[in-house]
Amino acid sequence: MPKCTINGQEVEVKEGATIIEAFKKMSEDIAHYCWHPGLSVAGVCRLCMVDVEGARGPQIACNTVVREGMVITNQSEQIKDIVRWGMDFHLINHPLDCPICDQAGECGLQEQYMKFGKYDPEMGLQKVKKRKVVDLGERVVLDSERCILCSRCVRFTDEVSKTNELGIFNRGDRSEIGTYKDKPLNNKYSLNTVDICPVGALTSKDFRFRQRVWYLKNADTICNGCSTGCSVKTYYNEEGLFRVKPNHNEDVNGYWMCDEGRDLYKFANKESRLLKAKKFDGSTWEEVSAGSAVKSLSHQLLETIKETPSKVAVVYTGQFTNQEYADSLKSFDGLGVNNFYHWMNNQASKDEFDGLLIRGDKNPNTKGLQNEASKFSGLKKLENLFNELESGNIETVFVMAPENISAYPEYESHFKALSKAKNFIWMGANQTSCYESTNSSNTYLIPLKSYVEKSGTFTNHNGTDQNFNYVTTLVAGALTLSEAMTLFEGQDLDFEIRPKIYKTMKNNHFTSDRGEL
Amino acid sequence: MFKLSSEGIDFVKKEIERYETRRSAIIPCLYRVQKENKGWVPPEAVAELSQLMDLPEAWINEILNFYTMFNKEPIGKLHVQVCCNISCCMNGGRELASHLNKEFGVQGNEISKDGNVTITRVECLGSCDTAPMMQVNDNYYENLTPEKAVSVIKELM
Ligand code: SF4
Ligand code: SF4
Ligand code: FES
Ligand code: FES
Repeated sequence: MPKCTINGQEVEVKEGATIIEAFKKMSEDIAHYCWHPGLSVAGVCRLCMVDVEGARGPQIACNTVVREGMVITNQSEQIKDIVRWGMDFHLINHPLDCPICDQAGECGLQEQYMKFGKYDPEMGLQKVKKRKVVDLGERVVLDSERCILCSRCVRFTDEVSKTNELGIFNRGDRSEIGTYKDKPLNNKYSLNTVDICPVGALTSKDFRFRQRVWYLKNADTICNGCSTGCSVKTYYNEEGLFRVKPNHNEDVNGYWMCDEGRDLYKFANKESRLLKAKKFDGSTWEEVSAGSAVKSLSHQLLETIKETPSKVAVVYTGQFTNQEYADSLKSFDGLGVNNFYHWMNNQASKDEFDGLLIRGDKNPNTKGLQNEASKFSGLKKLENLFNELESGNIETVFVMAPENISAYPEYESHFKALSKAKNFIWMGANQTSCYESTNSSNTYLIPLKSYVEKSGTFTNHNGTDQNFNYVTTLVAGALTLSEAMTLFEGQDLDFEIRPKIYKTMKNNHFTSDRGEL
Repeated sequence: MFKLSSEGIDFVKKEIERYETRRSAIIPCLYRVQKENKGWVPPEAVAELSQLMDLPEAWINEILNFYTMFNKEPIGKLHVQVCCNISCCMNGGRELASHLNKEFGVQGNEISKDGNVTITRVECLGSCDTAPMMQVNDNYYENLTPEKAVSVIKELM
């Protein structure tokens, strides 16, 4: 492991590491655009210049391997001047339309210009005009004037998604990013190009112009879109969530996430949520708060359940935390209930894997559910429950409904089928129109918290436990499964069982905060 | 719509075996298309080559757009490229180019009315010692005067 000196401090790096990696390890500032830790080295932006003692001239840090004893600095006046001018060259044809650019506030050009720039541009020439607002398909918009031709996006489609749509066409100052004949960039990972684009050349259709980034807070969590469980960062304000970006997690998702996972925040936002509990007695619906709904449910049913637990079925989906599974299973088990059913969506494709991140099991915590349930009486197949309901062996059904309803095409039909129970308790985060058509004259709809409103653990496809913490509250009064069960058992909620703080896996170093490259 | 001839397809298939990477065969294959299509490469040829060569369209398009020797628009029967780089320029290359433009009644990269010539100004063609010079289709004509150039072209028409 070679040792080198970075701006006067000694550091040991991995064999084969480049100088820029040593800078990153030391958290030393270094200007750069084209280098990205998850991609190959291009060495095209020429900003990462450093002095290496004994070398003939300045070197680029991203493409120079550290050798034993190298003494490296980027503090000399000469280097600073090179970087200043390098920045200016990048700006020659840049439109500087920051006020109408969605990237403003988290733009590498803005950030690095403030850090390393020249501040008094001397370029008097006419700028080369290029294409703006180029539609690149479902999710991405290109503004090729803003592009600084770092080629990160091209390398992403070549190396990571392996879909090869993007290229740099023409040459010199006419060079432009694009797809052949403007074909859409419809690969399943396209929005990663937006994340790694250091400027506002590639922006997300979904997020564009919806919020200025400086009005958003962010917090880490785990994507609940499939059993991979990518580490992600959510961006939100008091109105709700606005977007999700990947966090670096070498063991799970590297630097990336899939496009589908980025849409799931929408299910957590108020517009698609069940805001209040609803009770249906066969003729009218009544809206009450979640807590009082569970309490009245408890008064009504707790004793009956204790007397005839065999007539109760509990349906689980793989969308809850290990803690919720453990708590609720324990409560039911304590009441004598042991009919636990597993509602598995896409049974056929659940073991699929696309080779990068996306898995066919569209639940974040199927493993966790199976683990926890195996400590009790295990899980039965949901199909059996339909028969039991038909024959009247089951009278009361609790359903722990999924949050990501896009992955449950059978959501509505299952709702209807399961509501044939005499007592039907549907606990879930989402509002859909099918609730109106319940078959049970004793229906309870209990609003649950979404994944960003609670802390807990998901166990991903290979058994890695991933903790995540409360991000924000979107629906006041919604409950976690654990809270709902506590109330159902007739106890009150005390604040101790409100969000616990779990130690999360890893902090992200590179793509984390806005503005950082 | 343009399609490669069957000999052209054979050429491409041979060419992709010739280099260490298939990507290296893009230039000769584009040349082949240009030759078969009256001196220019139509955009749909990129898709055809992409299929034949099993390479992403973007990669081929990058090469096509990078090099000026590939014409992206139709050109006249004779493609006259007049060098206007330093040595030729000092020896009257630019004047030569404007003379030819006037003589054949064309501007920029347009095709003459009779469809015979397209005149483009190009950078150094590596024949500085014989400046000024021009290239007509695949041949060099050197040590030119405006009159000489006109008669060369007229003869080739
Ligand atoms: S679009 Fe963005 S990521 Fe792609 S080359 Fe341009 S600046 Fe780089
Ligand atoms: S791969 Fe799975 S866990 Fe990762 S972002 Fe996509 S849906 Fe979410
Ligand atoms: S980061 Fe080193 S050249 Fe771009
Ligand atoms: S300058 Fe004309 S051939 Fe070199």
